[in-house]
Amino acid sequence: MKQPTNFSEVFEKITDLKELFQFGEKIIPIFQSLIEFMKDIVPLMENINKSIAESTNKMPSATNQINNVTSATEMATTEILDRVDSISTALMNIDNDLTEILKRRAGKKDILEKLKAEIDFNDEQLELLGQLYDQDEIDTFLNSIKEKLSLLNDESYQITLALQVQDITSQQLAAVNHLIESVNDKLASLVDDIHNAQLDEKDVDKIEVPDSATFDPNARYDKDTSRQNDADDIFNNQQKDESKDIASQDEIDKLFSGE
Amino acid sequence: MDLKFLVVDDSVTMRRIVVNSLKNLGYNDYVEAGDGEEAFAKLQEDSSINFVITDWNMPNMSGLELSKKIRSTPEFENLPIMMVTTRGVKEDIVDALKAKVNNYVVKPFTPQILKQKIDQILNNL
Repeated sequence: MKQPTNFSEVFEKITDLKELFQFGEKIIPIFQSLIEFMKDIVPLMENINKSIAESTNKMPSATNQINNVTSATEMATTEILDRVDSISTALMNIDNDLTEILKRRAGKKDILEKLKAEIDFNDEQLELLGQLYDQDEIDTFLNSIKEKLSLLNDESYQITLALQVQDITSQQLAAVNHLIESVNDKLASLVDDIHNAQLDEKDVDKIEVPDSATFDPNARYDKDTSRQNDADDIFNNQQKDESKDIASQDEIDKLFSGE
Repeated sequence: MDLKFLVVDDSVTMRRIVVNSLKNLGYNDYVEAGDGEEAFAKLQEDSSINFVITDWNMPNMSGLELSKKIRSTPEFENLPIMMVTTRGVKEDIVDALKAKVNNYVVKPFTPQILKQKIDQILNNL
């Protein structure tokens, strides 16, 4: 150890020590407060740990519930589609029957015309025959029914199209399930080392959907045609750009020959 | 041209909706598959299939992977493929185009859009 060469150096050292003790006097209450704070925070951390553990345990049941909803809506949708198919088939059968009736009536009208040509009916008989085969009025009525059937068929088809919502919502629910499972994994890892770790909100944002996912997290039921229009623009423009990017064999040959 | 469609979607509901739409357009010849793997097997089994309508997100093999596999198989390289999917972001559309799908329909679709896209593909054959 180096010895002080004179008293002035000794006094300097003593002054330094005094300042150190004075600083210590100031810092000790802070340390005491810190210890008190730690005493208070430990039960709180334990509570948080317990809450996270409980939440983590509940998550699998939440995902099961969501899966049940998906299955139930799929079953219901299938039933609706079955009914709509039955209605469409019935409407088609009625339409076919009406077409057959109209065809037969046209045949009978031909027979009537032949009878009129071959038999000399009196006016009263002709009027009665006319009433019996009043083609125009009944045919108009039958054709009107056919038009209504066609409208009903269109309406039932619209129901079928609207059921696309089931596929879209099931993908949205699958995306929610994936999110819950990812958060569950993160929380489970925090349960063991809660004192050292923090659940960073950004970590949750970072949850990624794997390429192999069987759902689209951005799926949405939107009847607005703008998404299709945007898709068409991108598809068509990109197609043009792609064709620009294709180099001719001459260009490739020049590149490889170093010209 | 007689068309035989291969409708590929893991959702039974969507397959039925696409098939019903095809029937409404007068196309009654079709087969169905629940994922890309099954679809490719059906293509190999049935040489009369000449039009593929596929979803994107599916288990085992996605619609994008199916499209790439079809295009890399000399036997099917010119087979018309139409993607019908909920995925509508630019990156996805570009990926589909790079996989050489012939047209792209965003769900939910309307019968008019479906007909228009099928006609466009057929006109460009």
